[in-house]
Amino acid sequence: MRLLNISRYPGQLVMDVVTPIVFASMPILLGRASGGANAEEVFAANTGTPNYVAYMLIGTSVFTIVSFAFWHMAYWLRWEQETGTLEVLYLAPTNRIWVAAGTALYSCLRSLLAATAVYLFGSLILQVTPFQGQVGLAFLFILVGLIPLYGMTLLYGAVILKVKEANALVNLMQWGVTFLMGVFFPVAIFPPLLKFLALLFPPTWMTNGVRSALLGIGYFFGEWYLDLAVLWAFLLVAPLFGYWVFSKTETSIRRNEGVGQY
Amino acid sequence: MNLEGQNLSPSLIASLSAFWAMVRKELIIMARYPVNFVASFGQVFLIVAVFTLGGSMFYRGVEGGSSGGNPSGVVVYGFMLYMFMGDTLWAIGYNVRHEQVQGTLEQLYLSPASKFANLVSRVANILIWTGLLTITASILMASMIGDLPVENIGLGLYVMAFSLAGTFGLGFAFAALTLYIKETAQTVANFLQFGLLVLCAYFFPFSALPDFVLPISKLIPLSYTVDAFRSTMMGFPPGFPELAPIGFEVVLVTVFGLVMPYLGYVLYRRAENHARRRGSLSAY
Repeated sequence: MRLLNISRYPGQLVMDVVTPIVFASMPILLGRASGGANAEEVFAANTGTPNYVAYMLIGTSVFTIVSFAFWHMAYWLRWEQETGTLEVLYLAPTNRIWVAAGTALYSCLRSLLAATAVYLFGSLILQVTPFQGQVGLAFLFILVGLIPLYGMTLLYGAVILKVKEANALVNLMQWGVTFLMGVFFPVAIFPPLLKFLALLFPPTWMTNGVRSALLGIGYFFGEWYLDLAVLWAFLLVAPLFGYWVFSKTETSIRRNEGVGQY
Repeated sequence: MNLEGQNLSPSLIASLSAFWAMVRKELIIMARYPVNFVASFGQVFLIVAVFTLGGSMFYRGVEGGSSGGNPSGVVVYGFMLYMFMGDTLWAIGYNVRHEQVQGTLEQLYLSPASKFANLVSRVANILIWTGLLTITASILMASMIGDLPVENIGLGLYVMAFSLAGTFGLGFAFAALTLYIKETAQTVANFLQFGLLVLCAYFFPFSALPDFVLPISKLIPLSYTVDAFRSTMMGFPPGFPELAPIGFEVVLVTVFGLVMPYLGYVLYRRAENHARRRGSLSAY
């Protein structure tokens, strides 16, 4: 139903692809102008690859996936709250986890298609080769990272249920995520505490994994399977932790004001 | 009964009082969403950090820093104008749309209050809030990228004032468009915002734009506001202004600042009269 809905808004689908490319072009154009003839050399010294266009495009493509996950899950909850159907869902004999999983599946499909289009069109417009390095391994990092990512959206859903102002929080989160996962720069430049926080965040491992697989910038633990193992650990922990927090919040709200209030 | 005729010459005090009441209403609504209030501050800081750190990968660790002009001046002064452009495009049209959706737009037109004050009150809100955000974020940005050149403050403020007037005029025109296209306005605003972000080179010099894009940029008055403002504030370093001599740019910005608000308001009144005649003011 959701896929059918979005197909009615082709303009929105176009913006799904245009917006991340425009975001990536900002640091690319600024860098080209300020770095001058040495732009590639300096960029390589700071990030591990001279291919700054692909580096930024990979960042913005993974960010599309992460951002969509949070937007779609948060807005789904908020929308149900505002239209008064959230309480009805609680009365239905269907387990809420399946309703949430349906929304997550829609979000996954839309974000994977958008991120692929961003990377391919971005490469075409900015004239870089999209298929280089280990494409299959890059895709594996994305797929494994999706599950902890959607697990984390449950944590965020709990915040939306509690605080309610989805718009402001989603916007803040979007830029917080962009910052922490190192969309346009390596997290190695962060001070130790911030770097530690960034490494607790699964999308940071997704971004670095994809970049390392395609551009060879180097994995956090030196080998691809070690970094992937960390994502697998997140895969086990994040959904359970997210579900636990969401259930606790949900129970507390139902005991007090009820989920219908917004 | 000619209600419009009765209000052609209201006393100045009454008009100002009505205007202040409208501004207060907007400010009260804003204050009712404290999370939104705090989050938008945090969001601006994060945007600044993401783009400046991303851009710094091209000159970080290099003796003497950047080789293509002062990135701090280019980014910070462009950012100041972008904040207002983005907010204006969104806020004025979005506010009108919001009144339409919640069913209060038609009621506003039944009241004897000035329609012009109603529209301008939304600008006052942007000036206060976006101004505060812009100043704070610019200081943060300058501290992250490096020394911010501050030259020709008088001329810089002049260019900024007329640029903002022109931008608000664009906001009025976009509000007019919102009355016609309704829900699609959100997508159009998004598209315009991102399109202008690149075409008007808010975060990088015009020299970074591909050759085929530059002629399009030169057709947009906002490009000259960006170029004139940052060139003036940076003290006209070599290569700046990039689009035209500063004398020409200042004249163009002045004309833009004087004509656009008037043009925008005329367009808005036309759209509004069209909607009233068709009875679609409350339809959304």
